[in-house]
Amino acid sequence: MKDLVRQNLSIHVEIMDLLNKQIEKEAHSSSAYLAMASWCDHNALDNSAKFFYDQSLEEREHMIKIFRFINDNGGTAYSPEVSKIAHDFNSLEEIFETALEQEIAITKSIHNIVYKCRKVQDLASEHFLQWFVNEQMEEEQTMRRILELFDLMGTEGLGLKLLDERIPGIKGGA
Amino acid sequence: MRILDQSRFFSSYQCDGSRCFYIDFNHKTVKMSFCQLLSFRQKLLNIDLDSHFNGENSQGIEILMLCNKEHLFIFNTLEILDLKKLLNNTFTALEINSMIAC
Ligand SMILES: [Fe+2]
Ligand SMILES: [Fe+2]
Repeated sequence: MKDLVRQNLSIHVEIMDLLNKQIEKEAHSSSAYLAMASWCDHNALDNSAKFFYDQSLEEREHMIKIFRFINDNGGTAYSPEVSKIAHDFNSLEEIFETALEQEIAITKSIHNIVYKCRKVQDLASEHFLQWFVNEQMEEEQTMRRILELFDLMGTEGLGLKLLDERIPGIKGGA
Repeated sequence: MRILDQSRFFSSYQCDGSRCFYIDFNHKTVKMSFCQLLSFRQKLLNIDLDSHFNGENSQGIEILMLCNKEHLFIFNTLEILDLKKLLNNTFTALEINSMIAC
């Protein structure tokens, strides 16, 4: 019997399912960051708002990257539905803490897919996901660095304003 | 045509010549490309059987459009359970075939 699955699909079917779930997660992250941008805008934290607008776009790019990988390899990517986005926050610190937790959850999710790739010997997908493994390390580092600023500069008043001004220099910087 | 799986109500086949799959729905046999088979599988995976038992879908009826709306099927709870099993076993059979092939 011919291997019609392999003829049509370069990746493992179960990996395709997990990647489709990851698409939903990246889309959720993108929307969650947009909600955070809105909160920052309303609280006159312009740099933080810009940070989250950019972050939101990045998550969308991650989503598209996975989306195209599935389709390019013969699978079917599904356009995600997004629900349950939080819009209420107590403080900017809470927002960045939520952002860090969200990134950690995404890292774990990516790692789980990599483990599964190894189990089913899907080297192509594992190689593809390596980019995301690196990306997640950077994302976590950025959020962690910003959270450290709160310890240094405080969470309100002038300290908060000064902290907001430091935000543009954080990503990719020292 | 090679049989991939047979459940209580339905069966699935692979045809090497046409590089296609066939699902026998008893009164009707539908030819599917791999892509259409994947989409059929996804539709079944998305069906929430809990809703058949908690009152949300009290009739327990699912309407499925297959192959880009070419076919329309109406299934009851039992048939959906059976189809989910069929597709699961079909993909297991296909995976085993892939393993033998390499
Ligand atoms: Fe991401
Ligand atoms: Fe991220």
